[in-house]
Amino acid sequence: MRPLTAKKIAWICGGLSLLLFAAVVLSLKLGAYPIATSDVVMTLVRRAIGHTEQIPTDFRLVIFELRLPRIALGILVGAALSVSGAGFQALLRNPLADPYVLGVSSGAALGAILSLVWAPHVPLAMQGAAFAGAALTITAVYFLGRRGGQLDSTTLLLAGIITASFLSAVIVFLMTTLSGRDLRGMAFWLMGDLASAPPIHLGFLFLVLVLAIGAIYSTAADLNLILTGEQEARHLGVNVGRVKIVVYVAASLLTGLAVSVSGAIGYVGLLVPHVMRMLFGTDHRIVIPTSALGGALAVVLADMLARTVIAPTELPVGAMTAVAGAPVFIYLLRRRLR
Amino acid sequence: MRREQRRRIFAGLAVLALAGFAPPRARAAAMQGARPALETREVTDETGRRVTVPVVIRRIVSIAPNLTETIYALGAQDRLVGDTDYCDYPPEAKQKPHVGGALNPSLEAVVALKPDLVLATTAINRRATVEALERLGVAVYATDPRTVEGVLQSMRTLSALIGGGQQADALAAQLQTRLADLRARLAGDPPRRALFVVWVDPFISIGPRTFLADALRWAGAESVVRARGDWPQVSLEEVVRLDPEYLVFAEADRAAGESEFEELKVRPGWRALRAVKERHIAIVSDALDRPAPRMIDAIEELAKQLHPELFQPKAVAGRSKRETREEAMPPRIFRFSRFKFRYLRNSS
Repeated sequence: MRPLTAKKIAWICGGLSLLLFAAVVLSLKLGAYPIATSDVVMTLVRRAIGHTEQIPTDFRLVIFELRLPRIALGILVGAALSVSGAGFQALLRNPLADPYVLGVSSGAALGAILSLVWAPHVPLAMQGAAFAGAALTITAVYFLGRRGGQLDSTTLLLAGIITASFLSAVIVFLMTTLSGRDLRGMAFWLMGDLASAPPIHLGFLFLVLVLAIGAIYSTAADLNLILTGEQEARHLGVNVGRVKIVVYVAASLLTGLAVSVSGAIGYVGLLVPHVMRMLFGTDHRIVIPTSALGGALAVVLADMLARTVIAPTELPVGAMTAVAGAPVFIYLLRRRLR
Repeated sequence: MRREQRRRIFAGLAVLALAGFAPPRARAAAMQGARPALETREVTDETGRRVTVPVVIRRIVSIAPNLTETIYALGAQDRLVGDTDYCDYPPEAKQKPHVGGALNPSLEAVVALKPDLVLATTAINRRATVEALERLGVAVYATDPRTVEGVLQSMRTLSALIGGGQQADALAAQLQTRLADLRARLAGDPPRRALFVVWVDPFISIGPRTFLADALRWAGAESVVRARGDWPQVSLEEVVRLDPEYLVFAEADRAAGESEFEELKVRPGWRALRAVKERHIAIVSDALDRPAPRMIDAIEELAKQLHPELFQPKAVAGRSKRETREEAMPPRIFRFSRFKFRYLRNSS
């Protein structure tokens, strides 16, 4: 196997970025409101050179107020979920791990439900409560998952799964006893919803995203060693405990961030890191950046399909990622086995 | 000093991150400016939101089937430029451009129709949809139907909002009279203890605070289920304990109600129910759960099925038997259902 060089990483990431850019442009063009490609280009150019007043109101509304924020949210959520999935798969040394395996999404869902019950009219209450629920779950699972003062992969996994099923039971209990009027949004939320983007400055969310991905990336070389065995890594001078905490906190933060703005979008966090490993090898220095770009690409494309296949009726983006993701994954898996 | 520096760096980072994202209010203001200046006024909708709407409303988009029906009943269908995939009554409503489902309409499809006003309802739409449209600078008026009388009031308000003319008042007055007549007719009879069937498997009924529970009260029935939720799943034991006098179904056509009953009555426990043994069932149009004028038809129909003895035509001298029977015929909606039933049987 040829060694992984910085140049190679740059080339692969550059290629994926170009693909992502193409997907964004295509996504800007397609939708229930028909806009010609030339109009999309003209609008973007006018915006870029500062002639916003020449853009027709409808184009501005549809492109800059509806599609662009939604695409940006898709990039954010896709990158966050995929990197977090890659992080958890390495941390728990379990190929089945995904961002939701440790109960973060259940905690966020519980927070969201409680906000719908107690503060249905407060702006941002749902996102805030979802994030608080995720953060509390992360903390609880962290303390449950320690053994001898250290994070233990098996204990952590079990603690996460138990917490997740406990919280799911609480959610089921609440949903059957509470008045249904305000819980209507929940079904959509649980399947993932990018349509009603929260009124948060996306720039802030992207800052958090970049910091958390950076934190996980900084441990990439150590994660490679840990995968060969914790003892071996320790002998080679890796501070295993610190790496685990960094990955755990950063990956959980990414999941909490994604879940609180878009609900639980499934499969992306599980599938994308595996696909990237199949395509580019298992070295975390390449898996983590490509997962970020690949995850963004996957969610942007899935949402584009969700918006357009039976337009103007929209499908939940979570259903789209599952329907489109599973066959791609199976194809790659079989090809590799051949 | 160092803390000061750190704070400055953080502030700088934050500014960088936020660059290029103008605050939503500024964007909304810019959008308002771009539209041709229309005369507007401020109203409060039924959920307590302050909404700025144009004084003259030419283009309406409805994102709920009951509001589409109401617009047609108000005679304002020419101004209805879009509705949802679910808007199936009156049949012409299906021909209007659709903006997607009521729960997740495509926001850009709504914007593309350039509405002066979007009508939404808490009965089916999501708050997230209303808020998203609001942020786009689209005027959204939301209704909040909780009682039958509230719906009539809501009709008048909507008519005033869109400038519907006299039609709404006349219609509302007529519906009000029919409700008053119904109440007078049912006055002597105790309400029937009814079990409303929402779903057969698992068995789901209605809570006391639903719109349906109020509709049932108007039809001379009391929903027997006492639950906190709006759509409680009720156990068989509870059904046996409640021992309802009637089972009530609201379905698109009579056949659907019949088949649900057939499914229920063979189940253990249900077989022994008094209402099942005596076949005390009432099947009415699903308009019963649509907060729109047609619900009054469904309520009257339900009252007739639950209190048949009160609707016996009194023998009037000088009238032929045939005429009296004609009078006892159920209203339009029921005939329509039966027609559909026959049609379905023939075609299968």
